Amino acid sequence: MSVSSTPPAHDGAAAPSAGQASPHHPQPQHPTQQHPAQPQYPAPQYPAQQYPAQQYGAGSYGYYPGGPVGYPRNELAVWSLVLGLVSLVLGCMYVTGIPAIILGNRAKRAAEAGEADNPGLATAGIVLGWISVVLGVLLTVALVVVFGMAAAFVQGLRDAF
Amino acid sequence: MPGLQRRPLPVPGAGGAASGPRARLSRLRAPGAVAVAIAGATCWLALVDPHTPGQYGVCPLLALTGLYCAGCGGLRATHDLAHGDLAGAWAMNPLLVLAVPLVAVLWARWAARRWRGAPVPPREQPRLWPAWLLLVVVVGYSALRNVPALAPVLAP
Repeated sequence: MSVSSTPPAHDGAAAPSAGQASPHHPQPQHPTQQHPAQPQYPAPQYPAQQYPAQQYGAGSYGYYPGGPVGYPRNELAVWSLVLGLVSLVLGCMYVTGIPAIILGNRAKRAAEAGEADNPGLATAGIVLGWISVVLGVLLTVALVVVFGMAAAFVQGLRDAF
Repeated sequence: MPGLQRRPLPVPGAGGAASGPRARLSRLRAPGAVAVAIAGATCWLALVDPHTPGQYGVCPLLALTGLYCAGCGGLRATHDLAHGDLAGAWAMNPLLVLAVPLVAVLWARWAARRWRGAPVPPREQPRLWPAWLLLVVVVGYSALRNVPALAPVLAP
């Protein structure tokens, strides 16, 4: 999972050498590979390529020039937290509590693999998910017990009179 | 040029981009299972009427606090929709009626992506707003349903 996925930006100098050309030497390839018939215009067509957002292609340069670029699995922890919060609001808590736990665990693994930087949100989602599941089980058991006792009480009254 | 530097994220559980009919069928197993589960639950709800109180147990939140959550009336609305009663379903849970076409579109997109088997292109900034939007909608809807002035429209 972590081998083929996108590493964070601070690993960019070492990681791309595995499966592609080093990002520090992209310029010499363009005249020979893509523009063999126009050798007189090699470099000026790609001024932005001097400082590319290296492993994320042309779509990301310029947006976050200095900051960390791209944690592609950050949404896992956010979904876990949201589902955990929603499960506290819902009457049927398991429906979103259990997915919150599953997604939170996946988000933690993604954070360990360097694909996300928000393991705190994942922990919150897991904790909220567990709280809602335990609360849901307790409420269900309590309701069954209360209704069972009420039914037995009514039955006892009917038997007595 | 961007393709040179772009490495795709793997589709979880897709098992690569094999294109044989057997590989396609195995990739469609998860969407198929979800569709069968939803269809089965809908058939069950259509046959066993949830309008009868206690038919599916009681909601712990409603029994203990008397509050309506976002899912209140969901089973009844599904029953009404399965019987073609759009107005009845809307009266039970309007948000569920609105969510049904959205879920259908999302399911179709998911199944189509699995059918093609192409890896998802990487997203340098993952989309986070759908999750926060869901939180705001569910919490806000749950709160507004319990406002007496809005009860004729939103409460089941």
